Amino acid sequence: MDHRLLLIVLMPLAGFLLNGTLATAFGGRRVDRRVVTAIGCGLPMVSFAIALWCFAGLQAGGAPLAETVYTWARIGGRAFDVSLYLDRLAAVMVLIVTGVGSLIHVYSVGYMKDDPGYGRYFAYLNVFLFFMLVLVLGRSLLVLFVGWEGVGLASYLLIGFWFDDMDKARAGKKAFITNRIGDAGFLIGMFVLYQAVGTLDMDAIDAAFAGGGVPVSASLVGILLFVGATGKSAQIPLHVWLPDAMAGPTPVSALIHAATMVTAGVYMTARLSGVYAHAPEASQLIAAIGAATAFFAASVALVQTDIKKVLAYSTISQLGFMFVAIGVGAYGVAIFHLYTHAFFKACLFLGAGSVIHALGGAQDITRMGGLARRIPVTFVTFAIATAAIAGLPPLAGFFSKDEILWFAMASERGGSVPLFAVAALTALLTALYMFRLLWLTFLGAPRMDADVARHVHESPPTMTGVLAVLAILSSIGGFVAIPRYLEPLLPLPPVQPALEHLEAAVMIGSVGLALAGLVGAWYFFREGGTRGSAVGARFGRLRRLLAGKYFVDEAYDALVGRPLLWISQRVFLEFGDRRLLDGSLDGLASLARRSSGALGRVQTGSLQRYALIALLGIVATLAWTWRHA
Amino acid sequence: MGGALTVLFAVGAVAAAAAMLVARHPMRVALALIVAMLCLAGVYAALGVHVIAVFQVLIYVGAVMVFMVYVIMLLDVRDTSYTRRFSPLLVPAVVAALALVAALLVVVVEAPSAPPGTSPPPFGVRAFSQAFLDEYWLHFELVSVLLVAAVVAAIAVVKAGARRHG
Amino acid sequence: MDKTQLLLVVSVALFAMGLLGVIVRRNVLVMLMFMELTLNGVNLSLVAFGQQAGAAAPVVLVFLVFVVAAAEVAIAIPIVLLLARAKGTLDLAGYADLKG
Repeated sequence: MDHRLLLIVLMPLAGFLLNGTLATAFGGRRVDRRVVTAIGCGLPMVSFAIALWCFAGLQAGGAPLAETVYTWARIGGRAFDVSLYLDRLAAVMVLIVTGVGSLIHVYSVGYMKDDPGYGRYFAYLNVFLFFMLVLVLGRSLLVLFVGWEGVGLASYLLIGFWFDDMDKARAGKKAFITNRIGDAGFLIGMFVLYQAVGTLDMDAIDAAFAGGGVPVSASLVGILLFVGATGKSAQIPLHVWLPDAMAGPTPVSALIHAATMVTAGVYMTARLSGVYAHAPEASQLIAAIGAATAFFAASVALVQTDIKKVLAYSTISQLGFMFVAIGVGAYGVAIFHLYTHAFFKACLFLGAGSVIHALGGAQDITRMGGLARRIPVTFVTFAIATAAIAGLPPLAGFFSKDEILWFAMASERGGSVPLFAVAALTALLTALYMFRLLWLTFLGAPRMDADVARHVHESPPTMTGVLAVLAILSSIGGFVAIPRYLEPLLPLPPVQPALEHLEAAVMIGSVGLALAGLVGAWYFFREGGTRGSAVGARFGRLRRLLAGKYFVDEAYDALVGRPLLWISQRVFLEFGDRRLLDGSLDGLASLARRSSGALGRVQTGSLQRYALIALLGIVATLAWTWRHA
Repeated sequence: MGGALTVLFAVGAVAAAAAMLVARHPMRVALALIVAMLCLAGVYAALGVHVIAVFQVLIYVGAVMVFMVYVIMLLDVRDTSYTRRFSPLLVPAVVAALALVAALLVVVVEAPSAPPGTSPPPFGVRAFSQAFLDEYWLHFELVSVLLVAAVVAAIAVVKAGARRHG
Repeated sequence: MDKTQLLLVVSVALFAMGLLGVIVRRNVLVMLMFMELTLNGVNLSLVAFGQQAGAAAPVVLVFLVFVVAAAEVAIAIPIVLLLARAKGTLDLAGYADLKG
């Protein structure tokens, strides 16, 4: 029996166990850095090699690989297996996860060189990879959910990696808790699905909905599962954790919060396309939320001053684009954008890491500038990735974004002009804020402190090499026609015949938007952003709204956080616990004390009173005797 | 004749007891008690139980009450028990006592009456001592044990008192 | 009412009055005297029943009661003496030390 899929999954797990026990304070730090690096980077590369082998087999006309690892539980006659499944969609995901993952592992060698938690870092990174592979290769929703939760855990551990800083630890907590809120919807969706279909294997679920006759509304299931996706993929309303997650090390932001983990929601909805194809209401909702999130995040990114926060909001926005594609039925296109986004976003984040490394830890772009000559490799790769995300041809982002815009307008399953308008506006904003970032960070006169400026240096080859590879992938990756590759599995939606002739126009339009963004950024942010700040000062209130991220966090705190705290404090603690529970117990005790005090007053010490009571007793006894004798 | 004397002495005993209740000075209470006991002795004599009558006077009046009178004279303390005779429990006690009397009288009234006419012969010392030592000698011994205990206790009390006051 | 009943009524009256006096009077020596009155009432009832039945037993019991009463007084008086010396008063209210 073929165990290649299991090996893919187990390689990073072995890395986690080895590094976790030998290289951390837990195990006594028995091995030195080179062994940690070899284990931590080598095992993901082995996974990538095996994945390539499986992919080659699939390309040669093979059937999807399915492996049953073991039977997890038998409950009431039904068996729940742990099985792994590799079809075209899973192959794309596995290659992205292991490939980009291995590159980021290599980058981390240079970035985390001086950190005392080096071994712990690689252990956590490997465990993340393990859970992500479980998520992607799982055959049933149950296995996917295990991976889903596991990556949430890894994300928490890595965001709060420098846990001595309370803010960073709190950011990790926020990420985990927000994810869990989404998972409640996911779980209920799973329960409904199991009740209706009788199995949790995703290919079986898709087939059941395609065949019809499932006794539950596909839209209901779709919306419930999408709630989980909003948590994991940072869409409205559960997007609040992603900007805070930038507290973690930059390679973590690149791997988890750009390339892989946040795309799990997109993958899950694409995998269950059989359900969403029959759920028009759910699909409309997804498209609407995706578009709203994309626009909202892009507008906030326009005024951010932390280099990583700009990229975080950019990720939220691009994920919104992916969900727009899902919402109009173009599942393969969403995966295509996921694929290209992994390359250029990882390149952008790692480039930002390189900048931060060069400046000795500074992240404020208003105090950067003039770095292009001093760290040329970083600048060139960053520029290439920026052009890719803006959508300039022939880079990767152009192909995927153009397809999304086209289907947003023309798909028969929910495409409409308003949707296209919002998406197009967001594309313009994307180009604008990304080129703004490029200009303020690298070009113009230097605006940093003199001694920081003196220490600017290019990053080591482990870091710049990875940047180069990712930049190359961002350039040529778009030529791999992922949607057509995935067509047998994820058919593209039909296009409205009336709009068919607009395809070329949309393409030209999207290029135009990208160029407009480039020119706009050059115009407003050329001289260290003075013209941009002047515009910002004129629209002061709008600027404050955007800078405050539309005050969503504050709204959540006021509407949910504080009432919950109030209920816990006043209702449950003071009333329920102290007054009811403690009060009843204390009340019983004081009842005993008071009654004993009252009864004790019978003993007055006066003999005559005792004698009187005895006399009364005699009288009573005599009376009773003579009544009943 | 005997009947009339019995009634007379009986009434006298009750009257003396009532006088005991209201007298203030303990000495007057003692004297009233002596009168009551003497009346009771008269009752016993009128009934023909001469032994008991004599013993009543000799032991009760002659020993017990003399001792009482002696102690009253020794402890002539004019304290609050003189000025305020009755305890706060007067009213409830009176009520309870009346209830007791009522309860007990119920029995007395229902008691079967003796066959009329027959009056038992006088009970002299000879008859008494015969009955005493024939059937109740064990009780006598036990009582003497009690008396010994009383003597020992009295000595102990005196000694304790002596130790405390030098 | 015949002689026995009369004597019994008197005995009940003496008993009740004795008990009443124990509860009502404050002087401890007076209390003792009332206890003697109670005993006398009981003696009278014994004699009455003995007269009614014509038996010798009640008479003997009365004699034994005499003895016990004498012994009791012999002990009670010294106790009262000690109490009076310790508390400085003959009032029963002053002896209420065993309060609850």
